[in-house]
Amino acid sequence: MLAYTIRRIAQSIFVLFVVGLVAFSMFRFVGDPVDNMLGQERTQEDVERLREQLGLDQPFIVQYFRFLEQAAQGNFGLSYRQGRPVAEILLERAPATLELAFVSGMMALAGGIALGIFTAIRRRGFGANVVMTLSLIGVSLPTFLIGILLIYLFSVELGWLPSFGRGEVVEVGGWTTGFLTASGLKALILPSITLGLYQMTLIMRLVRTEMLEVLRMDYIRFARARGLREKSINFRHALKNTLVPVITITGLQLGSIIAFAIITETVFQWPGVGLLFINAIQFVDIPVMAAYLMLISVMFVGINLIVDMLYFAIDPRLRADRTSGGH
Amino acid sequence: MKPALLLAVACAIATPAVSETFHWAGTTDPNTMDPHAGNSAPVLGFLNNIYEGLVRRGTDMAIEPSLATSWEPIGNGEGWRFILREGVTFHDGSDFNAEDVVFSYQRAASEASDVRSWFASVTDVVAVDDYTVDILTSNPQPIFPDSIANWMMMDSGWTMASSADLPAPGEGNFATLNANGTGPYVLAERQPGLETVLEPFEGWWGEERGNVTRGIFTPIDNSATAVAALLAGDVDMINPVPVQDADRLDGVDGVRLIRGTEARVIMFGFSQDKDTLFGTDDANPFLDVRVRQAVAHAINVPAILQTIMRGSAEPAAQLVGAEMNGFSEGLAMRPGLDLDRARALLTDAGYPDGFSFLLKCPNDRYINDESVCQATVAMLAQIGLDAQLDAIPVSNYWPELREDNYDMYLLGWSPGTFDAEHPFRFLVHTPQDNIGTWNFGGYSNARVDELIPAIQSEIDPVARQAMLDEVAATVQDDVVYVPLYIQPLLWGAADNIELTQRVDNFFILRWVTVE
Repeated sequence: MLAYTIRRIAQSIFVLFVVGLVAFSMFRFVGDPVDNMLGQERTQEDVERLREQLGLDQPFIVQYFRFLEQAAQGNFGLSYRQGRPVAEILLERAPATLELAFVSGMMALAGGIALGIFTAIRRRGFGANVVMTLSLIGVSLPTFLIGILLIYLFSVELGWLPSFGRGEVVEVGGWTTGFLTASGLKALILPSITLGLYQMTLIMRLVRTEMLEVLRMDYIRFARARGLREKSINFRHALKNTLVPVITITGLQLGSIIAFAIITETVFQWPGVGLLFINAIQFVDIPVMAAYLMLISVMFVGINLIVDMLYFAIDPRLRADRTSGGH
Repeated sequence: MKPALLLAVACAIATPAVSETFHWAGTTDPNTMDPHAGNSAPVLGFLNNIYEGLVRRGTDMAIEPSLATSWEPIGNGEGWRFILREGVTFHDGSDFNAEDVVFSYQRAASEASDVRSWFASVTDVVAVDDYTVDILTSNPQPIFPDSIANWMMMDSGWTMASSADLPAPGEGNFATLNANGTGPYVLAERQPGLETVLEPFEGWWGEERGNVTRGIFTPIDNSATAVAALLAGDVDMINPVPVQDADRLDGVDGVRLIRGTEARVIMFGFSQDKDTLFGTDDANPFLDVRVRQAVAHAINVPAILQTIMRGSAEPAAQLVGAEMNGFSEGLAMRPGLDLDRARALLTDAGYPDGFSFLLKCPNDRYINDESVCQATVAMLAQIGLDAQLDAIPVSNYWPELREDNYDMYLLGWSPGTFDAEHPFRFLVHTPQDNIGTWNFGGYSNARVDELIPAIQSEIDPVARQAMLDEVAATVQDDVVYVPLYIQPLLWGAADNIELTQRVDNFFILRWVTVE
């Protein structure tokens, strides 16, 4: 167990290093921040002075090790664009993204399970077929298009919901939340739907397939034969057994909800870390890009590590392999 | 800086019939609140609402008194004397006087400043008494007052007390997030990238000011979102409106399109100091003026304006538009579309079958820049020129131009001084350390290089204009650039908003009235 754990952690750290290396090797293709930082009346001398000051004249390997050295001490540097510590900016923006991810994740889970059960039970019903057809749209339409369509319908035409931003937020111990105000809650609706729609259709289709599978099982037939009520069979026996894979997928998708919030945040001008990252790319704000990419990769690697460890705990075959031979 | 709060206070107030809250959106958030740490239109435009200079520009862009009430040249071009306005206070209550001007000069001209190029000819700034300042220059500077409209005054006491005595563009300091100017609005709240709030300064010296009691600026990067926000009534004004949405916005009740022209001229430049075409051993045809003339005659500017700019832009014949000071009236005609002539010129130059070359363009810098370049490729194909278009994001674009990776390129130039001399200095003078810095093509003409410093220090307006005309004529004859059009300014606003558009795309809150 210990050897396996150490091995997995070492692998994770190696992956992080490689991600960072690839990221740094690509920053120079994003462009040159110096032109954005100096005005049109800059001289060549200014350009070189600033480049040297920022360490951009060094090869990317050197820049990368400087970054690691600083990051190890908890210092992610200063944003070129805002002139403030990157860590401070990320902490300021994180609540917006996490709240959005949480709400859209919950929406996707609740809606996905409910619709999945509905379409599985009423397999041949008209309503179920309509839902299944619509779910194709959810899977195939790009996020930004859904976002823009929702804005035009609910903000421009109907005027019910705000077209951008987070509404009024309240600060609770360094965490800004939109959950406590009416405008904050209203502002969450459209971005959450946009971000969660894809996940919702995914979960719905997963629940439906699993449910159909389970409903064909012998114990369901026996339950029917025993004369149990339909409701009890569907929800107490069938649903419970379909949830295991759903929970696994949801956990794994949580990472992608946070990472892919970038597009939703751009469409809705949602002040989270994704929008920060997009702005950073436009400005070639290397410290912000580096910190964001490292944060996202730590998150993904972390989730995968936990999943691996859980499998190890659950699945005895993995243990068997380690102790060579066994059965 | 505490994040949070207040966005929705605006929404809450916005519901009653009479409201003086004004919410506007633009694509770029000013990256600093320090007027000496940024030299870009988003920064200087925004800070013009908070800080003030000795002079300022009016609605017609002419220089008018601001913190100085009058000014006059000293002696025979040794400098300028400014008489300061009395009774002006900063937002924190301290008085404005000559000492602050001297301090602001030292700060703005320091090594770390982003605006120090404005003071290249200044040798000293002397406080003669509390309300008189002499700015001494190494040579006569006839348009000096025009060049310092964005040189903003900071309070020496406040700045020193907050350890922001020098601008810190890369690292940031207290003045990056806070402001203490003399201007009509106080910086009430600053959340970089999210929201910036301005409130009227009760102690402001001036009188002409609209009725906005709370101005909220939100950067919205995505132009489709900005248009939707305006249509939904969530913001009162957006800048810019995408060209393709302009007509549609015009037809919607409750909002209107405000159309103007920016000071920015869009043009093509050529490689003029390399012997070969990019990536080949072939001789560089653009060294021959006839080839450049052929290009000028082959580009159908009216068609570009009609189809790509949807009738929103004006054609350009010189490096500045007709509204600018020093525009050469006699040279207002741009080369007409004449494909036969273009082909004849190419044949004369020895390229009857044309040639292939690299055309570099940005794809996110100017309005529809990539489309303009694509149209140009098709137009040049008609005279046998095979332009290989490479359109890239602007953050990669300038480094590529600096490394000479092009044969022909697109450039936009907005003259910071609103004077015809400005583009000559940056785009036409032979490239050197601090002059000709944007002359990527490397055009070099000894007579022009001699005239530019002479223009800069000529006091007699007639003699000055004669020299400007001579340079403008040379630039046209040599086809140093092919000016295409003046970029349009497209703002969208709610019908109840009165505002004035400035050709440098600065947004002046003082000129906004909510009805």
